[in-house]
Amino acid sequence: MLSQSVIHDVITAALATGGDFAEVFVEDRFTNNLALQGGKIESSLSGRDYGIGIRVFKGLQSVYAYTTDGSKEGLLKAAGNAAQAIRGDKIIQPEQLQKEIIPAAHPISLNPREVEKLRKVEVMKKAYEIAKNYHNSIQQVTVRYLDEEQNVLIANSEGKFVEDRRVRSRLAIQSIAAEGNQMQPGFYGPGAHKGFEFMENLNLEHYANEASRIAVTMLGAEPCPSGKLPVIIDNEFGGVIFHEACGHGLEATSVAKENSVFANRIGEKVASDVVTYIDDGTLANEWGSITIDDEGEKARKNVLIENGILKGYLIDKFGGRRMGMESTGSGRRQSYRFAPTSRMTNTYIANGKSTPEEIISNTEYGIYTKYMGGGQVNTTTGDYNFAVMEAYLVKDGKIGKPLKGATLIGNGPKTLQLVDMVGNNLDHGAGMCGSQSGSIPVNVGQPMIRVSEMTVGGTKGGE
Amino acid sequence: MNLQEFKEKLFHLGGQHGFTDMELYYEREEKFACELYKGEIDSYDTSEVFGTSFRGLYEGRMGYAFTEKLDEESLSFLIENAKENSQFIEDEVQEEIFAGSEQYEKGSYYSANLAEVTISEKMNLLKEIEKHIYAYDERVTGTDYFMLSSGETERVLLNSKGLNLSEKNNHAGIYVSVIVKQGDIVKNGEYSKFTRDFSILKPEEIAKHAVEEALSQLNARSAESKKYPVLLRNDAASALLQTYIPIFSAENTQKGQSALKGKTGEIIAAASLNIVDDPFLEEGLLSSNFDSEGVATARKDIVKDGRLVTLMHNRKTAQKDGVESTGNAYKASYKGALTVAPTNLHVIPSDQSYDELVSSLSEGIIITELSGLHSGANTVSGDFSIAANGYYVRDGKVQNAVNQMTIAGNFYELLNNIEAIGSDLEFSMGFMATGYIGSPSLLIRELAVTVE
Repeated sequence: MLSQSVIHDVITAALATGGDFAEVFVEDRFTNNLALQGGKIESSLSGRDYGIGIRVFKGLQSVYAYTTDGSKEGLLKAAGNAAQAIRGDKIIQPEQLQKEIIPAAHPISLNPREVEKLRKVEVMKKAYEIAKNYHNSIQQVTVRYLDEEQNVLIANSEGKFVEDRRVRSRLAIQSIAAEGNQMQPGFYGPGAHKGFEFMENLNLEHYANEASRIAVTMLGAEPCPSGKLPVIIDNEFGGVIFHEACGHGLEATSVAKENSVFANRIGEKVASDVVTYIDDGTLANEWGSITIDDEGEKARKNVLIENGILKGYLIDKFGGRRMGMESTGSGRRQSYRFAPTSRMTNTYIANGKSTPEEIISNTEYGIYTKYMGGGQVNTTTGDYNFAVMEAYLVKDGKIGKPLKGATLIGNGPKTLQLVDMVGNNLDHGAGMCGSQSGSIPVNVGQPMIRVSEMTVGGTKGGE
Repeated sequence: MNLQEFKEKLFHLGGQHGFTDMELYYEREEKFACELYKGEIDSYDTSEVFGTSFRGLYEGRMGYAFTEKLDEESLSFLIENAKENSQFIEDEVQEEIFAGSEQYEKGSYYSANLAEVTISEKMNLLKEIEKHIYAYDERVTGTDYFMLSSGETERVLLNSKGLNLSEKNNHAGIYVSVIVKQGDIVKNGEYSKFTRDFSILKPEEIAKHAVEEALSQLNARSAESKKYPVLLRNDAASALLQTYIPIFSAENTQKGQSALKGKTGEIIAAASLNIVDDPFLEEGLLSSNFDSEGVATARKDIVKDGRLVTLMHNRKTAQKDGVESTGNAYKASYKGALTVAPTNLHVIPSDQSYDELVSSLSEGIIITELSGLHSGANTVSGDFSIAANGYYVRDGKVQNAVNQMTIAGNFYELLNNIEAIGSDLEFSMGFMATGYIGSPSLLIRELAVTVE
């Protein structure tokens, strides 16, 4: 993408004012984005992103410059702009760049760039037909198709020089069911760190039917009661609750400045005994998986909480400086337009011992949430919220009528202590996570869990 | 390769490949951002990027592609991909390349004064604000977000029908999130402001706003969960409005994703509600003389005296509905396809102050902050159930902050349940939908409130 000698010169220029570390990130990304609406392809967009990010550290100061100008002059100018913010007397020479070949941990068998768009359109139309024909109340179906090939080169003043190719594919199906004045959406968006083979092997029947089933079920749902109730959260995308309730709070971004409720608590009991929480970027071909992170560190499996005890954080290179700790392979960014920071990959609660049937039959009165929407957390206070896409009332140990309009709110550290049952049906769901370094693909996952008490906000009022 | 040379080669190659009408859209952006933490530079970003997108008619259908590299390889990449992409488009109404409006406003949204503010002046402003933040109250322990950003953007639209439009704008913004601690209780408070006039950024005022906001949350208590009259403070009201802006887009009514389909001319809100989209607002962040299709922009009423006057249109949605474009064609950047979005859209303020609205409440809840809007608000059904922070009011006086809450209701109903509108118009640059969206405080008759 760029020659070693040019990169060496750029790193040298970035260190010219006394920086103690410099890094170059080059990105060349090809994307295809197609949208189908009402059975017809409405847009088909292809593009090429190309840019370079240059980062310089001096102590606890981080400077970032990026540009789309890949000429040597353009890069030296960007390096100069970055260096302008650094003032130091000791000028260091960068190490000789050593090219390291890291074998792809997530093999791709069918590069989407080499697949005709017509085949992509066929997958979308098939998904549309299935979702549309699910029920006569399905009024509208939107199918989005995304594939991308992101080629990166990462080099730094410590001599690192690595390249990586990340290929990802995702299909997103949204169904809208309507009846009278009522409209309800249902959504499913499977994705993987795979090429077009992902689409060819995808169980379209399942995903498209589920998107429509959720919409139709919610049409007949009653307003959700509100108040403090036991809440059962099903597996797969249900893991978004821990992504918000504790994943973000374990990132160096908030821990390093002690702005997190989990700061300085390694070795302490932060969750109930049944909770083991793991971030694992190495899971084969999963949507949130990586071979190397965006600082060139190899992906790894990080146990964050083990049987309720806090074991570690998610750390990037710069966050690690403030914390006096090593990177955990967690430096990620959306693109060259963002400096990397500590982020999650595939994060999940490990399997427990209960069966889903046991959990439900042990619950006298509460809420069962089958599919979650997204959520958000304030890492300073630990207060989180998230939306429920599909929920049911649980009464006398049985799943009852569907409920709409449920939102769950609470405090991460408190919720972690209130998990009283963990199921044995771990599964993962794909999502996008937005934070300081942009929007990145992540998986969230868990088996079915029960929280003994959560605040449920609904339209119906207290019971 | 420079832009002119690139365009000529591209249109020539496009012509050879059978494209009839063609357009090249170009954007160049320079940005600066700096974060401070306890006197030290925590992060410092500078950037200069450009990119182009091509669209063209091939066998009567529009194909799109974009690139950030102006090289020979990109010429064929754009042409080949746009050609392949055009083959799948099945929309019954086809987009067209626009020859241009008769007349364009000549507003300038570029401040030469702002362009002259140096990096060290910006850093000094941050240092001053930080000094005031820590000096304001001993309970301040830090900041978790404290940044200044500034940027300028140049847009150019060139097409084979001879249209050649360009525009430049700039802005600066401050975001502050302050952390306060009392005993075991930790809270934060935020403040942000965007402007083209650097001199209005007063360090003392900015610090006071953010710290007071955080301190006011320290005495949070629980409250009964029930239906209350709710005063959405201007910042919360504009955040909620921004979330629901897509319902005013003709693109969404045509897709069956907004209940405003066929409601043009009908009463959809309380008679006191007036919403305007104003592309010529002097301080507006999305002010512009032409939209992303090259159509002249115009100031327009969206809702007048509670009646839906018009939806927002681009040329394609207008053709489908048999009306004229409202000049609301929008591209998020050269990367995006054409869509529909507002410019500077806001609720027109009344003459009732925020304090008057508070004192009119015998019992109620003030909402100061909403979170989780991206997931808790359903723009299709209008239903929302959203996490919120705010205060409890009795006998016209704020009694205390309330523990984390949710407010739940339906946006279409809420529009009809607006009892009063404040005089305190404020804009917020949210992340929910595109547009620079503003609202004064809004008093809502009743919403379901659940307290943690």
